[in-house]
Amino acid sequence: MADPTTEPLVSFRSVHKAFGTYVAVKSLDLDIHRGEFIAFMGPSGCGKTTTLRMLAGLEAPTSGTITIGGKVMNDVPPHQRDTPLVWQSLALFPFLSVVENVEFGLRMRGVAPKERRDRAMLWLERMQLKGFETRRIDQLSGGQRQRVALARSLVTEPEMLLLDEPLSALDAHLVIRMQGVLTRLQKELGITFVYVTHSQSEAFAMADRVVIMGNGEIAQVGRPQEIFRGPKSRFVAEFVGRNNILGGTVKAGMLETAQGVVPVPAVRDGKAEIVVAADRVTVSGARPEGAAIRASFLSEEFAGTGIICYFETADGAEWKAQVTESQLATLQPESGQEFWLSWNANSAHVMGG
Amino acid sequence: MMRKFDPYPHVWRLPLLLWQGAFFVVPLVFMAALSFWLVKNYRMEPAFAFDNWERMLGRGAFWDAYWLTLLRACMAGVIASLIAFPASLFLAFHLTPQGRRFALLCLIVPFFTSFLVRAYAWQVILAESGPVNAVLGGLGLGPYTMLNSGFGAMVGYMTLVLPLVVIFQTWSLAAIEKSLIEAAANLGASPVRTLVSVIIPAAKTGLVLGAVFAFIMTFGDFVSPFYLGGSKPPTLTILIIDTTKSGQQWPRAAVVAIVMILTLFAVATAALKAAYGRRG
Amino acid sequence: MKPLSGLGWIYLLALFTFVFAPIVASVIFSFNSDRFPTLPLGSFTTDWYVRAFGRAEVWTAIGNSLIVAAVTSFLATFIGFATAYTDFRYGFKFKQAYLALALLPPTLPLVIMGLAMLAWLSQVGLSGTLTGIVIAHVVLATPFAMAICRLRLSQMDPSLEAAAWNLGAGQWAAMRYVILPFCGPAIVSALCLTAAVSFDEFIVAWFVSGLNRTVPVMILEILQGNVDPQINAIGTVVFLTSMSLVIAAQVLIFRRRRDG
Repeated sequence: MADPTTEPLVSFRSVHKAFGTYVAVKSLDLDIHRGEFIAFMGPSGCGKTTTLRMLAGLEAPTSGTITIGGKVMNDVPPHQRDTPLVWQSLALFPFLSVVENVEFGLRMRGVAPKERRDRAMLWLERMQLKGFETRRIDQLSGGQRQRVALARSLVTEPEMLLLDEPLSALDAHLVIRMQGVLTRLQKELGITFVYVTHSQSEAFAMADRVVIMGNGEIAQVGRPQEIFRGPKSRFVAEFVGRNNILGGTVKAGMLETAQGVVPVPAVRDGKAEIVVAADRVTVSGARPEGAAIRASFLSEEFAGTGIICYFETADGAEWKAQVTESQLATLQPESGQEFWLSWNANSAHVMGG
Repeated sequence: MMRKFDPYPHVWRLPLLLWQGAFFVVPLVFMAALSFWLVKNYRMEPAFAFDNWERMLGRGAFWDAYWLTLLRACMAGVIASLIAFPASLFLAFHLTPQGRRFALLCLIVPFFTSFLVRAYAWQVILAESGPVNAVLGGLGLGPYTMLNSGFGAMVGYMTLVLPLVVIFQTWSLAAIEKSLIEAAANLGASPVRTLVSVIIPAAKTGLVLGAVFAFIMTFGDFVSPFYLGGSKPPTLTILIIDTTKSGQQWPRAAVVAIVMILTLFAVATAALKAAYGRRG
Repeated sequence: MKPLSGLGWIYLLALFTFVFAPIVASVIFSFNSDRFPTLPLGSFTTDWYVRAFGRAEVWTAIGNSLIVAAVTSFLATFIGFATAYTDFRYGFKFKQAYLALALLPPTLPLVIMGLAMLAWLSQVGLSGTLTGIVIAHVVLATPFAMAICRLRLSQMDPSLEAAAWNLGAGQWAAMRYVILPFCGPAIVSALCLTAAVSFDEFIVAWFVSGLNRTVPVMILEILQGNVDPQINAIGTVVFLTSMSLVIAAQVLIFRRRRDG
């Protein structure tokens, strides 16, 4: 597991990256620790892939420094680094066999043919690809290609593995399986995994720490649970999970909003926004005690964990509430019908706090 | 921070610049300069005189050749497009993709065979006593004189340009969304109406490009007018060859060449604008 | 639809007949005993071949053609590949002009090209030499090599090269172990096609060649004098040679498609 007490493996210090006038990454400051599984997450164009490419040396920072293992890496070309990357497209060499793909990195490092073949075969075995070594890449299934790509990256025994949305091309059931393969592998090897994804479920399922990025900046860094329950900004709240946001002015423990006055956790007076997770909202016909607002029903959607009901408040804000199937059967909501959405005042999270 | 000089990109970028610069751009520029040189006692002397230009452009024979060449090139563009279009339609809409690809590959073949040998074959086929007239004679027709005429030249031009025109047309026709055509039929458009108002506008780029290439190739061809068209009256290409080969009048040939380049440039620019311009 | 389809086939057949008639005819005439062939055909003979290839100057011309085609194909394929790779890999100022330089030569009438080449090469003392023909043919053939290689590169996953760097290959090693193997079939196919272009080209070669004639230039000169079916015999051999090159090129293009 990650050990924050020792010197970090990677440090970004005020790293900027611009492509012409377009700023992809701005003032990035971040430490990545040895042995940690860190995930960069954000919408497309947020700078997460550029950050990963800078780690691999495929892009050079416009300003700032990136150190790996204490050494400034800004101008070190990619082939002189030990930062193998698992590509979104996998980028397996179509003209080489499976085993030739896996031993490519060793071949480039001048390892003797016999030794590199042995080491590649070991990794194929580890990835349950024994017997496939002479196959061509186009004769493999999606999951097998994925494991060839992993073996190819890991055969040089690097300290850190970079992964750029490696599961995005796989079927849903394979994604879950590969998530298991990846987390187990990371634990066994004890090396750092830097994982870029736009998928919240992948990031939260696997990573020790998640970095949320937006518009080239870090929006929040933390353990999955911290981010999930305590988003620091509207951007994060909207990006992760199903959150409802309510803004207004706090006066003596009460938040005055366009939807009425609701109690909030202890916070000083002034403007504030609170976040209420959809799974903490109760839907009822009659006005309940405590924090509640009124909203009209729009539609429902079956999600893996339950049913998400969509509502609209009088001022046009969208609210989501997660209900069970039996609750939905009791409510029997109709489009436009008004309900009370309530929550335990202490379960709300005050942003910026 | 000083970056070390990296020769890698230059190794790939420079060969073209050096070669096409030294052996394509420079010769053309030199030819343009040559058109202002003077020929004295069968020797060319560097000069900046409009002598050659005045002489060539002031000659009726030059303009006769110019209009003849232009007319033939336009005709070849139109005729080739008309002949090719039904075949391209058929290739695009009635053949399987494999069949179509095979047919197009076949059409690339003539491009790599000697056009001279093909022109000679036409000389024999179309001769007064050749196979075509033998067949026609069997039907009680002819014999017709087909060689050394505009018709003969046109046969040559078609041999040269038809494959390319079919390829261009078929590519653009086959690329049309089938749903577009079905939608038109669905809305009650007759096949002719669909052809005119849906298919032809959608394939405009390929149709125009095909005609333009036919024009360009015909405009610059000298084999057809020389060996099948009888070389009289001369086209611009024949004029260039006569002027160059007999009499060392390279500067005057250069004048003709430059007029040809300017004409081609103007036509190509206008046509590309038409081909890629806003659609209907 | 049925009758229309029948008409379509007939039309297509007629068009293909027109396009291929001269090619087929010249092969047939080359084995026909008549000096001026007509229908019905004369008797079968290989006489024209015996006569044509009994001439020493034909063999000299074949030798010249082969040398020119071989050297041209290597140079044109190298320049074409380098240009295609530059276009694939780099963006830079004036790239449009750069690409125009790569693709324009085939649109210029060969007669003009011949004149410009003749004028320039005599200026630098290369006219009348095989070197002069090679120089001109490389200018003409490079765009074809460039197009074939560029097409192949556009089928390549753009991260493949970066993946090689990422695995420890420097730029040159990535070229050697990734780009070149990937483009292999296209390169061979470009070699064949550029050789065919050079082997058939006669106008520029005729302007530039002087006494060092290639095969097609010799055909041209025979055509200007006493016409003789020997041309058909030589033409058939030239045709078969270029055809083998073109078919080899296309087979390679096809096979690489299947490989994906």
